[in-house]
Amino acid sequence: MNALRRHRELERIWGPRPGWRGMLTTVNNNDIGLMFLIVAATFFSIAGVLAMLIRAQLATPESVFVGPEVFNQLFTMHGTIMMFLFAIPLFEGLTIYLLPKMLGTRDLAFPRLSAFGFWCYLFGGSLLIFSMVAGIAPNSGWFMYPPLSSTLGTPGINSDFWLLGITFVEISAISAAVEIVVTILLYRAAGMSLDKMPIFAWYMLIVAVMILTAFPPMILGSILLELERAFGMPFFQVEHGGDSLLWLHLFWLFGHPEVYIIFLPAAGVVSTVLPVMARTTLLGYGWLVAAVAALGVLSFGLWVHHMFTTGIPHMGLAFFSAASTLVAVPTGLQIFAWIGTIWKGRPEMHLPMRWILGFFATFVIGGLTGVMIAMVPFNFQSHDTYFIVAHFHYVLVGGFVFPMIAGIYYWLPHFTGRKRFFRIGETAFWLVFIGFHGTFLLLHWAGLLGMRRRIDHVDAGSGWEGINLISSVGGFVMAMGFALIIIDIGVNVAVASRGPRNPWKAGTLEWAMPAPSGAYNMASIPTVRSRDPLHDDPDLPLRIARGEGYLGTPPASGLRETMMVEMSSGRPSHKIIFPGNSAMPITMAVVTGGLFMGMLLKWYWLVPLSALGVIGMAVWWAWGLGSRRDEGLQDVGNGLALPPGTQSVNPPGWWGSLFTLLADGVMFGSLLFGYAFLFTLAPNWPPPEWLRPEQRDLMLWLGGAVLAFGGIRLADGALRREGTPWPGLLIGLAGLAGLGAAALSVLRGTTHDGHAYEATLWVLGGYVLFHVAVALIMMAFLCVRESFGYLSALRIGEARVVRLWSDYAVAVALLGLGAAWLPGLAP
Amino acid sequence: MNDILRISVPLTVWIAAFSAVYGLQGIVCSDHWGAAGLGLSAARAALVAAWLVAIAIQLGLLLVLQTPRYASPSRWVRWVSVALGIVALISTVWTLLPVVMTSVCI
Repeated sequence: MNALRRHRELERIWGPRPGWRGMLTTVNNNDIGLMFLIVAATFFSIAGVLAMLIRAQLATPESVFVGPEVFNQLFTMHGTIMMFLFAIPLFEGLTIYLLPKMLGTRDLAFPRLSAFGFWCYLFGGSLLIFSMVAGIAPNSGWFMYPPLSSTLGTPGINSDFWLLGITFVEISAISAAVEIVVTILLYRAAGMSLDKMPIFAWYMLIVAVMILTAFPPMILGSILLELERAFGMPFFQVEHGGDSLLWLHLFWLFGHPEVYIIFLPAAGVVSTVLPVMARTTLLGYGWLVAAVAALGVLSFGLWVHHMFTTGIPHMGLAFFSAASTLVAVPTGLQIFAWIGTIWKGRPEMHLPMRWILGFFATFVIGGLTGVMIAMVPFNFQSHDTYFIVAHFHYVLVGGFVFPMIAGIYYWLPHFTGRKRFFRIGETAFWLVFIGFHGTFLLLHWAGLLGMRRRIDHVDAGSGWEGINLISSVGGFVMAMGFALIIIDIGVNVAVASRGPRNPWKAGTLEWAMPAPSGAYNMASIPTVRSRDPLHDDPDLPLRIARGEGYLGTPPASGLRETMMVEMSSGRPSHKIIFPGNSAMPITMAVVTGGLFMGMLLKWYWLVPLSALGVIGMAVWWAWGLGSRRDEGLQDVGNGLALPPGTQSVNPPGWWGSLFTLLADGVMFGSLLFGYAFLFTLAPNWPPPEWLRPEQRDLMLWLGGAVLAFGGIRLADGALRREGTPWPGLLIGLAGLAGLGAAALSVLRGTTHDGHAYEATLWVLGGYVLFHVAVALIMMAFLCVRESFGYLSALRIGEARVVRLWSDYAVAVALLGLGAAWLPGLAP
Repeated sequence: MNDILRISVPLTVWIAAFSAVYGLQGIVCSDHWGAAGLGLSAARAALVAAWLVAIAIQLGLLLVLQTPRYASPSRWVRWVSVALGIVALISTVWTLLPVVMTSVCI
């Protein structure tokens, strides 16, 4: 088969359906990645217009361009859109598009999940935009502090749009993170061991784990605040045993790592693009991996530095001040590694390089002001002033937007297959760079002069008028620059001439394919021996196109074949079949949206209906996986035969479940933290009465845990010995039912809207009940699968997945119900 | 997965210890501590003990990561895991140093 025929065959197998239906049903990473990028750019434009309106209002003193209520909505939506609807989805889109190519594989680990995540993002984001158009947008600031955001401060629907819309959008962040982690760990080119992974993959692996551990506290906080607003559960109301500081903790447990979640992908772009621009290799690859891993974890020890002025004792302040200074060390190490890379290379001043240099200048300033506000006394002075506004714009625009634009210009020839012809981008760079510093540099001084953030007008005679006028002029210059970038990209996408493949002469695998790439990414899966395979072997693209790698012969069956590798060594381990195009992801997102719409409109009947719909869709989703017969080794080319993925002990679904449960576990941990926080520190505790379990409840709890824990193991063991799993499955079902009954007793014994203690017990009981129900459904599903012949001694992957979820349900039931009952049992 | 664990465990233990000591400080400064008949000197002792345990665990991890049984077969992973073990040890010493430097509950 020649290369052209191979391309056509693979395109037929991996490409979207023709016409508009293709967009709605595609699950291909190229389509989904581009859709993410386009929607994120649209949201960026909307948030940019909001920023212009803010600057128009503050340009002159005593301005009445917009009133206070509209102004509140403007700055809240500007921050919310930039953080949740632009920054995260933009790097997710870039990653979804690029990662399989860089890793030398054909798609992401769970293609339908990518599509589902995209539709959740689009629908959730649109909900927020709708609220703005309707004039009922969130108006409590992007971090939504109660009681301002609760029914006390915002009785209308505004806050509900934020809480429900953002939680809907976060489904996409969590699903993309699971996707990215499993792809990087299991789907790479043959021979790509951990030390040969492209540096961008290391960055994204760490960022994805950060998303899984940082987002759940905020999702929990949003759920609690929505429960308070909808059903009067007083988690944040002091007079009923709640505490608004709990929100601050939950929000900033997410909010500070979030800064690094946004920065690190951009730093990954710098680490990828900079060596190519400097015509050399990256200095200190291992050091950078260690620095990024250190940053990823250290960033979780900083959250209280957003709360320095809330009255926390000195020792607590000192812990977080120390951690905040420490985090500058790995950040500095990255900067020095990049400077060293430029030093040892022969830098060429292409447009991406310009943006990287702009990033250096801007981000370093933002980093240094960050060290300043890590110091408690200075923080006391500058808290909630424009110094903070200037600082975080230096970090976020300098540290994220500039490098991402560098990345977009770097990979533009890959997206389009064209050579950039029109040079509008150079002018745009200077407009944005000068405009940005014009906007924000002087605002540091405004902050030091006492200008508070979020004020809706500048008083005449305050001394801030001149600074604000300059800032507003700078803001409009910057906006013109961004508009030019969009025009530049649009024009070059549409009319520039065809360009060469790999115009930068880069060494990473995404350049080993035609541009724009085929839907299948890799015509055959290569073997790599270094971090820059194209430098080792310039003919590699040709050999990949000729099908000389693995899986180079498109199957007559039309199935989407790819290969899984052993995690550390990159040795091929299994042949995997990916699902094809499907309307399931968009349908699932619509049905999931019913949960949020039901809560938002207070059509509570819609919530259980949608939940049933989601369960039905999930069963349908999972039913199409697996195999009903044992298969032998299958030829993947080059004399290698591999077992099918359905016969893996820990299939990709198991790894996906493991990382989903990591996020779930962090959410549960945050819930326990919230309970302990209120118990220990909130005023108006203890509650009027502790909940005391009855003997029957305790027996159901412990007995159920033993049966559920043992039952699934019995079933797993029996399957491995080619025996019948039924006794184990039935015991497991009985055990889970017992745990469910124990959790119900907690809900029966309390009223949800009395004291924060009882409300917390409701959530704990509800959390346990939910997970027990999920495990029950999964185990029942496993019973049906066994009846239809999907399980065998070789095909135990599904049982292992159910075991994971069942064990998790047991663990949270033991811990959650134990914590609920503990005060009542204490003498 | 073992290599990923080798790389991630030391700093994960740091964040767990850091959060635990911060939580402990919340407990010793709450009314419950006083109600249990314990004073500020006991509070300081508990915090210092927790800090020392955290340091000891980090030292132990650092040693274990270099033993033939637990060290990675990959030289590169071994290097990264030990480097991160050292980072975690320094982080534990530095970020929890306030237990001996500042007032406990003011």
